[in-house]
Amino acid sequence: MAISASALPHAHAESHAHHDHEAELRREHLMLDPKPRGEMNAMVMESMTTTSWKFWVVAGILALIVAVALFGAWGYMISEGLYLSGKNRPGYWSLFLVHTVFWVGISHAGTFVSALLRVFKVEFRRPFTRAAELMTTFALAQAGIQIFAHMGRVWLAYWMFPIPNQRQLWVNFQSPLMWDFLAINTYLLASTMYLFLPLIPDLAMARDRSTGWRKSVYRILALGFRGTEAEWTHLRIALNIFAFAILPVMFSVHTIVSWDFAVAMRPGWSSTIFGPYFVIGALQSGVAAVGMVVIVIRYTMKHMDYFIRKEHFDAIGKLMLVISMGWAYFFFNDYMIQWYGGDSFTDALLHFHEAGPGGWIWFMMLITNVAIPWLVLWNRAWRRNPVILFSVGLLINVGMWAERYIIVPVSLQINRMPFLWGQDFRPGIEVPIFIGTVAFFILLYMLASRFLPLVPVWEVQEGQMAHSIRKYGKEPVVTVAELE
Amino acid sequence: MTEKNLLLAIFEDIDPAAHAVDKLRELGVTDEHVTVISGTPITEAMLGRKPQWSNVTRFALGGAFVGLCVGIFLAYGTPQLYPIVVNARWIGVPPTIVVMFELTMLLMLISTFLGVFLDSRFPNYTPTEYVPEISDGRIALLIECGGELEAAVEAAMKSIGAESVKRAQAEAL
Repeated sequence: MAISASALPHAHAESHAHHDHEAELRREHLMLDPKPRGEMNAMVMESMTTTSWKFWVVAGILALIVAVALFGAWGYMISEGLYLSGKNRPGYWSLFLVHTVFWVGISHAGTFVSALLRVFKVEFRRPFTRAAELMTTFALAQAGIQIFAHMGRVWLAYWMFPIPNQRQLWVNFQSPLMWDFLAINTYLLASTMYLFLPLIPDLAMARDRSTGWRKSVYRILALGFRGTEAEWTHLRIALNIFAFAILPVMFSVHTIVSWDFAVAMRPGWSSTIFGPYFVIGALQSGVAAVGMVVIVIRYTMKHMDYFIRKEHFDAIGKLMLVISMGWAYFFFNDYMIQWYGGDSFTDALLHFHEAGPGGWIWFMMLITNVAIPWLVLWNRAWRRNPVILFSVGLLINVGMWAERYIIVPVSLQINRMPFLWGQDFRPGIEVPIFIGTVAFFILLYMLASRFLPLVPVWEVQEGQMAHSIRKYGKEPVVTVAELE
Repeated sequence: MTEKNLLLAIFEDIDPAAHAVDKLRELGVTDEHVTVISGTPITEAMLGRKPQWSNVTRFALGGAFVGLCVGIFLAYGTPQLYPIVVNARWIGVPPTIVVMFELTMLLMLISTFLGVFLDSRFPNYTPTEYVPEISDGRIALLIECGGELEAAVEAAMKSIGAESVKRAQAEAL
C-alpha cells in the first residue's frame, strides 16, 4: 500500500470478524476503509471511461430538449418579443426571476458543502466536494441564461459592464441590479477557480493513467503539476484562502439577490430579514440538490459505491433537516412581523398568498419544505434510504421553487395601487426555457462525469491518512489527526 | 567544479521517506538539494523539513488592495465622471460598500488563483523529472548530489527501503 494510515493494517480483513464493531466501523466509514492509492485511481478512471449506450441515449434526449426547449424557445422569443413570456402588468418580473433565484440557490450548495465543511474540517465531505462544486458552476450558468433571456435584447448585455459606451452613461452602482451583476459574476468566477484548483492533482493523476486524446487534454489541463512540496504548499494555502473568502461571497450573493426585492417599498418584499431568509432558502434547495446528485452518482457510476456510502446519505439528510428547521424559523420570522404590522396592503397580500388562486402553492411550499423533511429525516433508517432521501430532496426543491414563485409573480399581483392589482399569473415561454435549463444542467453534469474525476482522490486519501481506530478499553473509537 | 547528478529515489511509504531525508543530511546533502514529490500533500513537518516559502498570501493581499481601489473608483469615481444626482446627493455611502466588497473579494481570489500559477510556475510543459507512480501514491525524493556521493546515496536509499533509486531523467509529462 502506498501512503497508508499505518494504524489500519486490517482494512480488508473484516470477513473473519463480521460482527466485530471495528469491522462494522470500517464498512460504514470510507475514511476508515483505505484502499491502495493506485486502486482508487483506477476506480475513478474506470468510472469516467465506462459508458454504456444508455448514457448516450439519455444524453441525446437531453441535448434535444436543450436545443428545442431552451435555445429554440429563447430564439423564438427573441424574434417575436417578450410578450410571449408571462410578463404583464402587474407581474413585471414573471418567471425568469423565479428561475434565476432558483438556480442561484442551487449554486450555493457547492460552496456550502465544500468551503464551509472544509473550514470546519468536517470529514464526511471529502468524496463529494467536487460533485457539489460542479453543481455551483453549472447552476450559475443556468441562472445566467435566465437573466439574459429576461433582458430581451440580449445583445445589449454589455451595457451592464462599467465601460464607456455610446449612451455616454456609466452604470449606476447604487442599483441592486448592478450589485447582482457584480455579485453573481464574482461568485461564478470564484467558484470556477475554486473548482479548478483542487482538480489539478486529479487531472495530473488522470494524465498519468490515460492515453490518446484524453492524455493530451489532461496534460494541458494539469499544467505540468508533479506534486512537489512547493506545489502542494501553494495549493494548500490557496485552498484555505478560497475556503474562507468564498463564504462571505456566497452569503453576499443571495443577500444581494434578496435586496432586489427588499429595497422596494412593496408589501411582502420590504423586509429586513430577507437577506438571511434568502440565504437559508438557497442552502435548503442546494443541499437537497447535492443529496439528489450524490445518490444518482452512487447508483449510476461504476465503483462509486466504494466512495459514497450510507454514512454520506445520513450526513446529508441531517444537514437537510437542520437547514429545513432554519428555513422554517426565518419564514416564520418574516411572516410574523408582516402579519403583526397591520399594514392593510400587506394584510391583503398575506391573505392572497393563502387564499388566492395560488393558495395551494403556498400550502404545498410549507408541506414540502417543512412538514415532509421533519416527518421523514429524523429517522436514521429513512435518511439512509436512497429512494426516500432522493424523494425528500426533490420535494424540497419543488417547495423552494414554489417559495420563489410566491415571492415574485404572486406577490407582484398585490401592491400599493389597488387599481393595478392582478388576480392570476399566467406563465408563458419561460416554462419551456426553464425545462431547457434543467435539461442543460443535467447534460453538462453527465458530460463532466465522463471527463472530470468526480471524486477528489487525493483528498480522500489525505482523509484516510488522518483517520484511525484506537481502543479505549474494549471500545474501538475513531480518531482523526490534524495533518495540516 | 564537482559534477552534479540527479537521483530519483522512490518510496512506498512516508516513514522510510522521512528516514531517507535524515540520512541524506548525514551524508551531506542539504535540504535545498532534495525535492520531495508526492501524490498526496505531505507537510514539511512530516518529513522534518523546513516550511516551503510561498507568496500566495501576498498575492491575495495585493489583489484585495487593488480590488478595493477599483471598487472605490467604480463607486465614487464614475459618478463624478457622469453625475446622476439622486435624492439631492451624489453618492449614498451604504451602496458603495457592496461594490467595494465584491470587487475586493473578486480581485483577491483572482490574485490567489494567479499566485498559485506564478509561484508554481504553471503551466510548465517542458520535460521534467517525474514518474507516474507518484500519482499512484509513491513518494519520490529528487536528490541533487555530487558525483562522488552518488554511490553512497544510492546505497543509503536502498538500505532504508527505497523501491528504486535511479538517475532522474527529464521526460515529457
